[in-house]
Amino acid sequence: MNVITNDQLRCTIALAVLQDVMDPEIGLSVVDLGLIYQIDFEEANRQLYVSMTLTTQFCPMGASIVAAVKRAMENTFTHYTVIVTLTFTPPWNNERISEAGSAFLNQ
Amino acid sequence: MTTPPPGSDPLIKNTSYKVVLPFYVYAALAFLVGCILLFTSSGAFTQHYFHPHTIAITHIMALGWGTMMVLGAGHQLLPVVIEGKLYSDTLAWLSFVFAAVGIPLLVFAFYHFNMGWPAQYGGILVNIAIVCYLVNVAASMMKSSNENVHAVFVFTATLWLLLTTTLGLVLVYNFTYTFLPKDSLQYFSLHAHLGIGGWFLLMVVGVGTRLLPMFLISKYTNPRRLWLMYGLINAALILFIITHVYLQQKNAYLFAVISVLSGFILFAIYLCTAYRQRIRKQLDEQMKVSFLSVLIMVVPLMILVITMVMMLMGQQLPRLVLVYGFTIFLGWITAIIFGMTFKTLPFIVWNKVYQSKAGLAKTPHPKDLFSRKIFIAMSIAYLVGFVLFIAGILVSIGWLLKIAAAFLVAAAMLYNWNVFKIVLHQSKNV
Repeated sequence: MNVITNDQLRCTIALAVLQDVMDPEIGLSVVDLGLIYQIDFEEANRQLYVSMTLTTQFCPMGASIVAAVKRAMENTFTHYTVIVTLTFTPPWNNERISEAGSAFLNQ
Repeated sequence: MTTPPPGSDPLIKNTSYKVVLPFYVYAALAFLVGCILLFTSSGAFTQHYFHPHTIAITHIMALGWGTMMVLGAGHQLLPVVIEGKLYSDTLAWLSFVFAAVGIPLLVFAFYHFNMGWPAQYGGILVNIAIVCYLVNVAASMMKSSNENVHAVFVFTATLWLLLTTTLGLVLVYNFTYTFLPKDSLQYFSLHAHLGIGGWFLLMVVGVGTRLLPMFLISKYTNPRRLWLMYGLINAALILFIITHVYLQQKNAYLFAVISVLSGFILFAIYLCTAYRQRIRKQLDEQMKVSFLSVLIMVVPLMILVITMVMMLMGQQLPRLVLVYGFTIFLGWITAIIFGMTFKTLPFIVWNKVYQSKAGLAKTPHPKDLFSRKIFIAMSIAYLVGFVLFIAGILVSIGWLLKIAAAFLVAAAMLYNWNVFKIVLHQSKNV
Protein backbone atom coordinates (compact mmCIF):
# COMPACT_ATOMS: atom_id res chain seq x y z
CA MET A 1 0.00 0.00 0.00
CA ASN A 2 3.02 2.27 -0.47
CA VAL A 3 2.13 5.74 -1.68
CA ILE A 4 4.88 7.80 -3.26
CA THR A 5 4.91 11.43 -2.16
CA ASN A 6 7.08 14.52 -1.90
CA ASP A 7 5.34 15.68 1.29
CA GLN A 8 4.87 12.96 3.88
CA LEU A 9 2.91 15.05 6.37
CA ARG A 10 0.27 16.35 3.96
CA CYS A 11 0.12 12.96 2.24
CA THR A 12 -0.87 11.42 5.59
CA ILE A 13 -3.68 13.99 5.88
CA ALA A 14 -4.77 13.29 2.30
CA LEU A 15 -4.86 9.52 2.91
CA ALA A 16 -6.87 10.01 6.09
CA VAL A 17 -9.44 12.00 4.09
CA LEU A 18 -9.44 9.42 1.29
CA GLN A 19 -10.34 6.72 3.83
CA ASP A 20 -13.88 8.03 3.39
CA VAL A 21 -13.85 7.59 -0.38
CA MET A 22 -15.19 4.13 -1.05
CA ASP A 23 -15.27 1.75 -3.97
CA PRO A 24 -19.06 1.39 -3.81
CA GLU A 25 -19.08 -2.17 -5.16
CA ILE A 26 -16.46 -3.58 -2.82
CA GLY A 27 -17.27 -1.45 0.21
CA LEU A 28 -13.62 -0.64 0.92
CA SER A 29 -11.89 2.74 0.80
CA VAL A 30 -9.60 3.62 -2.09
CA VAL A 31 -6.77 3.74 0.47
CA ASP A 32 -7.36 0.26 1.89
CA LEU A 33 -7.70 -1.11 -1.63
CA GLY A 34 -4.32 0.42 -2.50
CA LEU A 35 -5.71 2.37 -5.44
CA ILE A 36 -3.66 5.50 -4.65
CA TYR A 37 -0.17 5.35 -6.21
CA GLN A 38 1.20 8.83 -5.69
CA ILE A 39 0.32 12.17 -4.07
CA ASP A 40 2.54 15.16 -4.88
CA PHE A 41 2.23 18.79 -3.88
CA GLU A 42 3.71 21.40 -6.21
CA GLU A 43 4.09 24.67 -4.37
CA ALA A 44 5.07 26.84 -7.35
CA ASN A 45 1.70 26.37 -9.12
CA ARG A 46 -0.27 25.41 -5.98
CA GLN A 47 -1.16 22.09 -7.60
CA LEU A 48 -1.90 18.73 -6.01
CA TYR A 49 -1.31 15.67 -8.17
CA VAL A 50 -2.95 12.34 -7.38
CA SER A 51 -2.07 9.27 -9.40
CA MET A 52 -4.42 6.38 -8.88
CA THR A 53 -5.69 3.18 -10.41
CA LEU A 54 -8.79 0.94 -10.32
CA THR A 55 -9.10 -2.76 -9.49
CA THR A 56 -10.08 -3.32 -13.13
CA GLN A 57 -9.85 -1.16 -16.21
CA PHE A 58 -13.48 -1.99 -17.01
CA CYS A 59 -14.84 -0.76 -13.68
CA PRO A 60 -18.22 0.87 -14.40
CA MET A 61 -17.84 2.90 -11.21
CA GLY A 62 -14.44 4.26 -12.26
CA ALA A 63 -15.64 7.75 -13.19
CA SER A 64 -17.51 8.03 -9.92
CA ILE A 65 -14.51 6.93 -7.82
CA VAL A 66 -12.08 9.27 -9.58
CA ALA A 67 -14.52 12.20 -9.24
CA ALA A 68 -14.97 11.42 -5.54
CA VAL A 69 -11.18 11.41 -4.96
CA LYS A 70 -10.88 14.77 -6.74
CA ARG A 71 -13.77 16.26 -4.75
CA ALA A 72 -12.39 15.02 -1.42
CA MET A 73 -8.95 16.54 -2.16
CA GLU A 74 -10.44 19.86 -3.36
CA ASN A 75 -12.53 20.02 -0.22
CA THR A 76 -9.48 19.47 2.03
CA PHE A 77 -6.71 21.33 0.23
CA THR A 78 -8.78 24.32 -0.78
CA HIS A 79 -5.87 26.44 -2.01
CA TYR A 80 -4.65 23.82 -4.46
CA THR A 81 -5.76 22.88 -7.94
CA VAL A 82 -6.30 19.12 -7.82
CA ILE A 83 -5.29 17.00 -10.80
CA VAL A 84 -6.22 13.31 -10.60
CA THR A 85 -4.60 10.99 -13.11
CA LEU A 86 -5.79 7.47 -13.71
CA THR A 87 -3.16 4.94 -14.66
CA PHE A 88 -3.03 1.21 -15.20
CA THR A 89 0.77 1.06 -15.25
CA PRO A 90 1.59 -0.83 -13.13
CA PRO A 91 -1.70 -2.70 -12.97
CA TRP A 92 -3.35 -3.01 -9.57
CA ASN A 93 -2.82 -6.27 -7.70
CA ASN A 94 -3.99 -7.64 -4.37
CA GLU A 95 -0.59 -7.05 -2.71
CA ARG A 96 -1.54 -3.39 -2.56
CA ILE A 97 -4.50 -4.07 -0.26
CA SER A 98 -3.98 -2.97 3.35
CA GLU A 99 -4.12 -5.45 6.24
CA ALA A 100 -7.53 -4.12 7.25
CA GLY A 101 -8.69 -4.42 3.65
CA SER A 102 -7.42 -8.00 3.38
CA ALA A 103 -9.19 -8.93 6.60
CA PHE A 104 -12.41 -7.41 5.24
CA LEU A 105 -12.16 -9.28 1.92
CA ASN A 106 -11.24 -12.57 3.60
CA GLN A 107 -14.26 -12.47 5.92
CA MET B 1 3.43 11.11 -12.74
CA THR B 2 2.18 8.60 -15.29
CA THR B 3 -0.19 10.18 -17.75
CA PRO B 4 -2.40 8.41 -20.26
CA PRO B 5 -1.50 8.79 -23.93
CA PRO B 6 -2.92 11.95 -25.59
CA GLY B 7 -6.50 11.58 -26.72
CA SER B 8 -7.16 8.48 -24.67
CA ASP B 9 -9.44 8.33 -21.68
CA PRO B 10 -9.12 5.14 -19.67
CA LEU B 11 -12.43 5.67 -17.87
CA ILE B 12 -15.49 3.71 -18.88
CA LYS B 13 -18.26 6.06 -20.10
CA ASN B 14 -21.45 4.91 -18.45
CA THR B 15 -24.67 4.92 -20.43
CA SER B 16 -27.26 7.39 -19.11
CA TYR B 17 -29.66 5.96 -16.54
CA LYS B 18 -32.50 7.56 -18.54
CA VAL B 19 -31.82 5.08 -21.32
CA VAL B 20 -31.41 2.01 -19.15
CA LEU B 21 -34.04 2.27 -16.39
CA PRO B 22 -37.12 1.90 -18.67
CA PHE B 23 -35.84 -1.51 -19.81
CA TYR B 24 -35.41 -2.70 -16.20
CA VAL B 25 -38.86 -1.46 -15.16
CA TYR B 26 -40.54 -2.94 -18.24
CA ALA B 27 -38.82 -6.30 -17.72
CA ALA B 28 -39.84 -6.40 -14.05
CA LEU B 29 -43.49 -5.72 -14.91
CA ALA B 30 -43.40 -8.23 -17.78
CA PHE B 31 -42.08 -10.86 -15.37
CA LEU B 32 -44.97 -10.18 -13.00
CA VAL B 33 -47.51 -10.37 -15.84
CA GLY B 34 -45.84 -13.56 -17.12
CA CYS B 35 -46.07 -15.21 -13.69
CA ILE B 36 -49.72 -14.15 -13.31
CA LEU B 37 -50.44 -15.70 -16.73
CA LEU B 38 -48.59 -18.80 -15.56
CA PHE B 39 -50.95 -18.92 -12.56
CA THR B 40 -54.16 -18.34 -14.54
CA SER B 41 -53.11 -20.69 -17.37
CA SER B 42 -51.28 -23.34 -15.35
CA GLY B 43 -53.60 -25.99 -16.83
CA ALA B 44 -51.96 -25.43 -20.23
CA PHE B 45 -48.84 -27.09 -18.85
CA THR B 46 -50.66 -30.42 -18.56
CA GLN B 47 -51.21 -30.35 -22.34
CA HIS B 48 -49.04 -30.28 -25.48
CA TYR B 49 -46.36 -27.57 -25.52
CA PHE B 50 -47.88 -25.98 -28.64
CA HIS B 51 -50.75 -24.48 -26.64
CA PRO B 52 -51.66 -20.79 -27.24
CA HIS B 53 -51.26 -19.89 -23.57
CA THR B 54 -47.92 -21.69 -23.29
CA ILE B 55 -46.66 -19.88 -26.40
CA ALA B 56 -47.89 -16.53 -25.03
CA ILE B 57 -46.18 -17.15 -21.66
CA THR B 58 -42.98 -18.30 -23.39
CA HIS B 59 -42.89 -15.08 -25.43
CA ILE B 60 -43.58 -12.76 -22.52
CA MET B 61 -40.77 -14.53 -20.63
CA ALA B 62 -38.35 -14.65 -23.58
CA LEU B 63 -39.02 -11.14 -24.92
CA GLY B 64 -40.68 -9.05 -22.21
CA TRP B 65 -38.61 -10.44 -19.34
CA GLY B 66 -35.40 -11.96 -20.68
CA THR B 67 -34.72 -9.87 -23.78
CA MET B 68 -35.83 -6.52 -22.34
CA MET B 69 -33.62 -7.10 -19.32
CA VAL B 70 -30.67 -8.17 -21.47
CA LEU B 71 -31.19 -5.13 -23.72
CA GLY B 72 -31.31 -2.82 -20.70
CA ALA B 73 -28.27 -4.35 -19.05
CA GLY B 74 -26.68 -4.60 -22.51
CA HIS B 75 -26.94 -0.86 -23.08
CA GLN B 76 -25.52 -0.27 -19.59
CA LEU B 77 -22.70 -2.81 -19.83
CA LEU B 78 -21.75 -2.32 -23.47
CA PRO B 79 -19.16 0.34 -22.54
CA VAL B 80 -17.63 -2.16 -20.08
CA VAL B 81 -17.56 -4.90 -22.70
CA ILE B 82 -16.29 -2.89 -25.68
CA GLU B 83 -14.14 -0.56 -23.55
CA GLY B 84 -15.75 2.42 -25.24
CA LYS B 85 -18.98 4.43 -25.26
CA LEU B 86 -22.53 3.62 -26.37
CA TYR B 87 -22.94 5.04 -29.88
CA SER B 88 -26.45 6.47 -29.60
CA ASP B 89 -28.93 7.07 -26.78
CA THR B 90 -31.62 7.78 -29.40
CA LEU B 91 -31.23 4.33 -30.95
CA ALA B 92 -31.44 2.83 -27.46
CA TRP B 93 -34.68 4.74 -26.86
CA LEU B 94 -36.10 3.65 -30.21
CA SER B 95 -35.16 0.09 -29.40
CA PHE B 96 -37.12 0.35 -26.14
CA VAL B 97 -40.20 2.00 -27.64
CA PHE B 98 -40.56 -0.43 -30.56
CA ALA B 99 -40.06 -3.48 -28.34
CA ALA B 100 -42.32 -2.10 -25.59
CA VAL B 101 -45.21 -1.73 -28.07
CA GLY B 102 -44.46 -4.86 -30.11
CA ILE B 103 -44.17 -7.40 -27.29
CA PRO B 104 -47.69 -6.97 -25.80
CA LEU B 105 -49.19 -7.16 -29.30
CA LEU B 106 -47.36 -10.43 -29.95
CA VAL B 107 -48.26 -11.92 -26.57
CA PHE B 108 -51.92 -10.91 -26.96
CA ALA B 109 -51.99 -12.48 -30.42
CA PHE B 110 -50.43 -15.75 -29.24
CA TYR B 111 -52.72 -15.95 -26.20
CA HIS B 112 -55.77 -15.79 -28.48
CA PHE B 113 -53.95 -17.59 -31.30
CA ASN B 114 -54.81 -14.80 -33.69
CA MET B 115 -52.06 -14.59 -36.30
CA GLY B 116 -53.63 -11.51 -37.89
CA TRP B 117 -52.49 -7.92 -37.51
CA PRO B 118 -51.54 -7.96 -33.78
CA ALA B 119 -49.04 -10.77 -34.32
CA GLN B 120 -47.81 -9.33 -37.61
CA TYR B 121 -47.38 -5.74 -36.39
CA GLY B 122 -46.05 -6.94 -33.05
CA GLY B 123 -43.43 -9.05 -34.84
CA ILE B 124 -42.46 -6.18 -37.15
CA LEU B 125 -42.03 -3.78 -34.22
CA VAL B 126 -39.91 -6.27 -32.26
CA ASN B 127 -37.69 -6.76 -35.33
CA ILE B 128 -37.25 -2.99 -35.74
CA ALA B 129 -36.26 -2.79 -32.06
CA ILE B 130 -33.62 -5.49 -32.55
CA VAL B 131 -32.26 -3.76 -35.68
CA CYS B 132 -31.89 -0.52 -33.64
CA TYR B 133 -29.96 -2.41 -30.97
CA LEU B 134 -27.79 -4.22 -33.52
CA VAL B 135 -26.88 -0.95 -35.27
CA ASN B 136 -26.08 0.62 -31.89
CA VAL B 137 -23.84 -2.31 -30.89
CA ALA B 138 -22.08 -2.37 -34.29
CA ALA B 139 -21.52 1.42 -34.35
CA SER B 140 -20.30 1.42 -30.73
CA MET B 141 -17.82 -1.35 -31.54
CA MET B 142 -16.59 0.47 -34.64
CA LYS B 143 -16.00 3.66 -32.63
CA SER B 144 -14.11 1.78 -29.94
CA SER B 145 -10.44 1.24 -30.64
CA ASN B 146 -10.29 -1.85 -28.42
CA GLU B 147 -11.60 -5.05 -29.90
CA ASN B 148 -12.04 -8.02 -27.66
CA VAL B 149 -13.72 -11.38 -27.60
CA HIS B 150 -16.49 -10.25 -25.23
CA ALA B 151 -17.61 -7.59 -27.71
CA VAL B 152 -17.66 -10.19 -30.50
CA PHE B 153 -19.88 -12.40 -28.31
CA VAL B 154 -22.34 -9.53 -27.81
CA PHE B 155 -22.44 -8.62 -31.49
CA THR B 156 -22.86 -12.23 -32.64
CA ALA B 157 -25.56 -12.86 -30.02
CA THR B 158 -27.50 -9.86 -31.34
CA LEU B 159 -27.16 -11.20 -34.90
CA TRP B 160 -28.63 -14.52 -33.75
CA LEU B 161 -31.43 -12.63 -32.00
CA LEU B 162 -32.27 -10.82 -35.22
CA LEU B 163 -32.27 -14.15 -37.06
CA THR B 164 -34.57 -15.59 -34.37
CA THR B 165 -37.07 -12.74 -34.47
CA THR B 166 -36.98 -12.61 -38.29
CA LEU B 167 -37.75 -16.34 -38.44
CA GLY B 168 -40.49 -15.76 -35.85
CA LEU B 169 -42.04 -13.07 -38.05
CA VAL B 170 -41.82 -15.34 -41.11
CA LEU B 171 -43.60 -18.09 -39.13
CA VAL B 172 -46.36 -15.66 -38.11
CA TYR B 173 -46.99 -14.77 -41.77
CA ASN B 174 -46.71 -18.42 -42.78
CA PHE B 175 -49.72 -19.19 -40.59
CA THR B 176 -51.85 -16.93 -42.82
CA TYR B 177 -50.10 -17.07 -46.20
CA THR B 178 -48.51 -20.51 -46.38
CA PHE B 179 -45.31 -20.15 -48.37
CA LEU B 180 -42.76 -22.27 -46.46
CA PRO B 181 -42.23 -25.87 -47.62
CA LYS B 182 -43.25 -27.20 -44.18
CA ASP B 183 -45.87 -25.92 -41.74
CA SER B 184 -44.83 -23.37 -39.10
CA LEU B 185 -44.79 -25.94 -36.29
CA GLN B 186 -41.88 -27.72 -38.01
CA TYR B 187 -39.74 -24.59 -37.65
CA PHE B 188 -40.73 -23.99 -34.04
CA SER B 189 -37.76 -25.86 -32.59
CA LEU B 190 -35.34 -24.01 -34.92
CA HIS B 191 -36.82 -20.62 -33.90
CA ALA B 192 -36.61 -21.53 -30.20
CA HIS B 193 -33.03 -22.84 -30.30
CA LEU B 194 -31.64 -19.92 -32.27
CA GLY B 195 -33.02 -17.69 -29.52
CA ILE B 196 -31.91 -19.84 -26.60
CA GLY B 197 -28.45 -20.78 -27.87
CA GLY B 198 -27.67 -17.86 -30.16
CA TRP B 199 -29.08 -14.99 -28.15
CA PHE B 200 -29.25 -15.94 -24.48
CA LEU B 201 -26.40 -18.46 -24.20
CA LEU B 202 -23.87 -16.47 -26.24
CA MET B 203 -24.82 -13.27 -24.39
CA VAL B 204 -24.60 -14.87 -20.94
CA VAL B 205 -21.25 -16.50 -21.73
CA GLY B 206 -19.80 -13.37 -23.36
CA VAL B 207 -20.90 -10.90 -20.69
CA GLY B 208 -20.78 -13.31 -17.75
CA THR B 209 -17.13 -14.16 -18.31
CA ARG B 210 -16.31 -10.48 -17.98
CA LEU B 211 -18.71 -9.46 -15.21
CA LEU B 212 -18.54 -12.38 -12.78
CA PRO B 213 -14.70 -12.28 -12.44
CA MET B 214 -14.97 -8.49 -12.06
CA PHE B 215 -17.47 -8.80 -9.19
CA LEU B 216 -15.30 -11.50 -7.57
CA ILE B 217 -12.23 -9.26 -7.99
CA SER B 218 -10.57 -12.08 -9.87
CA LYS B 219 -7.75 -11.38 -12.26
CA TYR B 220 -8.42 -14.55 -14.24
CA THR B 221 -8.80 -14.11 -17.97
CA ASN B 222 -8.25 -16.56 -20.83
CA PRO B 223 -9.15 -15.17 -24.27
CA ARG B 224 -8.14 -18.42 -26.01
CA ARG B 225 -10.63 -20.41 -23.99
CA LEU B 226 -13.26 -17.74 -24.65
CA TRP B 227 -12.70 -17.98 -28.40
CA LEU B 228 -13.04 -21.75 -28.12
CA MET B 229 -16.40 -21.38 -26.33
CA TYR B 230 -17.46 -18.91 -28.99
CA GLY B 231 -16.53 -21.34 -31.76
CA LEU B 232 -18.23 -24.32 -30.11
CA ILE B 233 -21.55 -22.57 -29.41
CA ASN B 234 -21.72 -21.05 -32.90
CA ALA B 235 -20.72 -24.35 -34.50
CA ALA B 236 -23.53 -26.05 -32.54
CA LEU B 237 -26.05 -23.53 -33.86
CA ILE B 238 -24.87 -23.85 -37.46
CA LEU B 239 -24.89 -27.67 -37.22
CA PHE B 240 -28.39 -27.50 -35.75
CA ILE B 241 -29.66 -25.34 -38.64
CA ILE B 242 -28.06 -27.56 -41.29
CA THR B 243 -29.47 -30.71 -39.69
CA HIS B 244 -32.91 -29.21 -39.19
CA VAL B 245 -33.30 -27.72 -42.65
CA TYR B 246 -31.29 -29.96 -44.96
CA LEU B 247 -30.62 -33.37 -43.37
CA GLN B 248 -33.11 -36.11 -42.77
CA GLN B 249 -30.95 -38.15 -40.33
CA LYS B 250 -31.86 -37.16 -36.82
CA ASN B 251 -28.60 -38.52 -35.37
CA ALA B 252 -26.81 -35.55 -36.96
CA TYR B 253 -28.29 -33.45 -34.13
CA LEU B 254 -25.88 -35.28 -31.86
CA PHE B 255 -22.94 -33.24 -33.17
CA ALA B 256 -24.74 -30.00 -32.33
CA VAL B 257 -25.56 -31.26 -28.83
CA ILE B 258 -21.94 -32.37 -28.21
CA SER B 259 -20.66 -29.02 -29.45
CA VAL B 260 -22.93 -26.91 -27.22
CA LEU B 261 -22.25 -29.19 -24.22
CA SER B 262 -18.49 -28.75 -24.73
CA GLY B 263 -18.98 -24.96 -24.87
CA PHE B 264 -20.97 -25.03 -21.65
CA ILE B 265 -18.41 -27.20 -19.85
CA LEU B 266 -15.66 -24.75 -20.84
CA PHE B 267 -17.85 -21.90 -19.54
CA ALA B 268 -18.32 -23.68 -16.21
CA ILE B 269 -14.55 -24.37 -15.97
CA TYR B 270 -13.85 -20.71 -16.75
CA LEU B 271 -16.13 -19.51 -13.95
CA CYS B 272 -14.71 -22.08 -11.50
CA THR B 273 -11.17 -20.92 -12.24
CA ALA B 274 -12.18 -17.27 -11.79
CA TYR B 275 -13.91 -18.24 -8.54
CA ARG B 276 -10.82 -20.05 -7.21
CA GLN B 277 -8.60 -17.07 -8.04
CA ARG B 278 -10.92 -14.49 -6.47
CA ILE B 279 -9.63 -11.93 -4.01
CA ARG B 280 -13.02 -11.29 -2.44
CA LYS B 281 -13.72 -14.47 -0.48
CA GLN B 282 -17.33 -13.96 0.56
CA LEU B 283 -20.09 -14.10 -2.02
CA ASP B 284 -23.14 -11.92 -1.59
CA GLU B 285 -26.64 -13.32 -2.22
CA GLN B 286 -26.78 -11.86 -5.74
CA MET B 287 -23.59 -13.67 -6.74
CA LYS B 288 -24.84 -16.91 -5.17
CA VAL B 289 -28.03 -16.72 -7.25
CA SER B 290 -25.96 -15.92 -10.36
CA PHE B 291 -23.82 -19.02 -9.80
CA LEU B 292 -26.97 -21.02 -9.09
CA SER B 293 -28.19 -20.06 -12.55
CA VAL B 294 -25.13 -21.76 -14.05
CA LEU B 295 -26.04 -24.92 -12.08
CA ILE B 296 -29.65 -24.68 -13.27
CA MET B 297 -28.34 -24.62 -16.85
CA VAL B 298 -27.27 -28.21 -16.35
CA VAL B 299 -30.97 -29.28 -16.14
CA PRO B 300 -32.04 -28.23 -19.67
CA LEU B 301 -28.74 -29.52 -21.05
CA MET B 302 -29.38 -32.92 -19.46
CA ILE B 303 -32.93 -32.89 -20.83
CA LEU B 304 -31.50 -32.03 -24.25
CA VAL B 305 -29.28 -35.12 -24.10
CA ILE B 306 -32.14 -37.35 -22.86
CA THR B 307 -34.52 -36.00 -25.54
CA MET B 308 -31.82 -36.59 -28.15
CA VAL B 309 -31.33 -40.21 -27.07
CA MET B 310 -35.10 -40.82 -26.91
CA MET B 311 -35.52 -39.27 -30.35
CA LEU B 312 -32.85 -41.59 -31.76
CA MET B 313 -34.79 -44.49 -30.21
CA GLY B 314 -37.91 -43.24 -31.99
CA GLN B 315 -39.69 -41.98 -28.87
CA GLN B 316 -41.01 -38.52 -28.02
CA LEU B 317 -41.52 -37.02 -24.59
CA PRO B 318 -43.64 -33.85 -24.93
CA ARG B 319 -43.72 -33.27 -21.16
CA LEU B 320 -39.93 -33.27 -21.08
CA VAL B 321 -40.01 -30.61 -23.80
CA LEU B 322 -42.21 -28.48 -21.52
CA VAL B 323 -39.78 -28.98 -18.61
CA TYR B 324 -36.91 -28.12 -20.97
CA GLY B 325 -38.48 -24.78 -21.96
CA PHE B 326 -39.54 -24.03 -18.38
CA THR B 327 -36.08 -24.66 -16.91
CA ILE B 328 -34.56 -22.38 -19.54
CA PHE B 329 -36.87 -19.39 -19.20
CA LEU B 330 -38.07 -19.65 -15.60
CA GLY B 331 -34.89 -21.37 -14.44
CA TRP B 332 -31.58 -20.42 -15.98
CA ILE B 333 -32.55 -17.04 -17.48
CA THR B 334 -34.67 -15.94 -14.52
CA ALA B 335 -32.00 -16.87 -11.96
CA ILE B 336 -29.22 -15.01 -13.79
CA ILE B 337 -31.49 -11.96 -14.14
CA PHE B 338 -32.36 -12.09 -10.42
CA GLY B 339 -28.67 -12.10 -9.54
CA MET B 340 -27.50 -9.52 -12.04
CA THR B 341 -30.42 -7.09 -11.52
CA PHE B 342 -29.31 -6.48 -7.96
CA LYS B 343 -25.68 -6.28 -9.02
CA THR B 344 -26.25 -3.66 -11.73
CA LEU B 345 -29.45 -1.69 -10.98
CA PRO B 346 -28.34 -0.35 -7.56
CA PHE B 347 -25.17 1.03 -9.19
CA ILE B 348 -27.10 2.74 -11.97
CA VAL B 349 -29.37 4.47 -9.44
CA TRP B 350 -26.50 5.11 -7.00
CA ASN B 351 -24.59 6.87 -9.78
CA LYS B 352 -27.69 8.94 -10.57
CA VAL B 353 -28.36 9.97 -6.95
CA TYR B 354 -25.00 10.02 -5.18
CA GLN B 355 -22.25 10.45 -7.78
CA SER B 356 -22.05 14.21 -7.19
CA LYS B 357 -21.93 13.69 -3.40
CA ALA B 358 -19.31 10.95 -3.17
CA GLY B 359 -16.07 12.23 -1.70
CA LEU B 360 -17.73 15.02 0.26
CA ALA B 361 -19.52 12.91 2.85
CA LYS B 362 -20.43 9.32 3.59
CA THR B 363 -22.96 7.97 1.12
CA PRO B 364 -24.97 4.74 1.37
CA HIS B 365 -23.57 1.70 -0.43
CA PRO B 366 -25.40 0.65 -3.59
CA LYS B 367 -26.40 -2.57 -1.82
CA ASP B 368 -28.26 -0.44 0.76
CA LEU B 369 -30.67 0.71 -1.95
CA PHE B 370 -32.63 -2.55 -1.84
CA SER B 371 -33.79 -4.86 0.92
CA ARG B 372 -31.67 -7.95 1.50
CA LYS B 373 -34.57 -9.59 3.37
CA ILE B 374 -36.92 -9.12 0.42
CA PHE B 375 -34.23 -10.51 -1.89
CA ILE B 376 -33.84 -13.64 0.26
CA ALA B 377 -37.64 -14.08 0.54
CA MET B 378 -37.88 -13.70 -3.26
CA SER B 379 -35.15 -16.31 -3.80
CA ILE B 380 -36.89 -18.82 -1.50
CA ALA B 381 -40.33 -18.27 -3.10
CA TYR B 382 -38.75 -18.61 -6.51
CA LEU B 383 -36.86 -21.84 -5.75
CA VAL B 384 -39.93 -23.47 -4.17
CA GLY B 385 -42.13 -22.42 -7.10
CA PHE B 386 -39.53 -23.53 -9.64
CA VAL B 387 -39.08 -27.04 -8.21
CA LEU B 388 -42.83 -27.55 -7.62
CA PHE B 389 -43.69 -26.41 -11.14
CA ILE B 390 -41.26 -28.91 -12.69
CA ALA B 391 -42.80 -31.64 -10.52
CA GLY B 392 -46.27 -30.44 -11.59
CA ILE B 393 -45.39 -30.72 -15.28
CA LEU B 394 -43.83 -34.17 -14.87
CA VAL B 395 -46.74 -35.67 -12.91
CA SER B 396 -49.31 -33.49 -14.75
CA ILE B 397 -51.23 -32.41 -11.65
CA GLY B 398 -53.18 -29.17 -12.07
CA TRP B 399 -53.37 -28.13 -8.40
CA LEU B 400 -49.63 -28.64 -7.94
CA LEU B 401 -48.96 -26.38 -10.93
CA LYS B 402 -51.33 -23.79 -9.45
CA ILE B 403 -49.54 -23.79 -6.06
CA ALA B 404 -46.14 -23.61 -7.78
CA ALA B 405 -47.30 -20.71 -9.97
CA ALA B 406 -48.57 -18.91 -6.83
CA PHE B 407 -45.03 -19.11 -5.38
CA LEU B 408 -43.65 -17.72 -8.64
CA VAL B 409 -46.18 -14.84 -8.57
CA ALA B 410 -45.03 -14.12 -4.99
CA ALA B 411 -41.40 -14.14 -6.18
CA ALA B 412 -42.28 -11.76 -9.03
CA MET B 413 -44.06 -9.40 -6.63
CA LEU B 414 -41.10 -9.38 -4.25
CA TYR B 415 -38.74 -8.81 -7.18
CA ASN B 416 -40.85 -5.84 -8.34
CA TRP B 417 -40.98 -4.49 -4.80
CA ASN B 418 -37.18 -4.39 -4.61
CA VAL B 419 -36.76 -3.08 -8.17
CA PHE B 420 -39.14 -0.17 -7.51
CA LYS B 421 -37.49 0.44 -4.14
CA ILE B 422 -34.23 1.02 -6.02
CA VAL B 423 -35.65 2.93 -8.97
CA LEU B 424 -37.63 5.32 -6.74
CA HIS B 425 -34.76 5.82 -4.29
CA GLN B 426 -34.32 9.44 -3.21
CA SER B 427 -31.14 10.95 -1.85
CA LYS B 428 -30.72 10.48 1.88
CA ASN B 429 -29.21 13.33 3.86
CA VAL B 430 -25.45 12.85 3.70
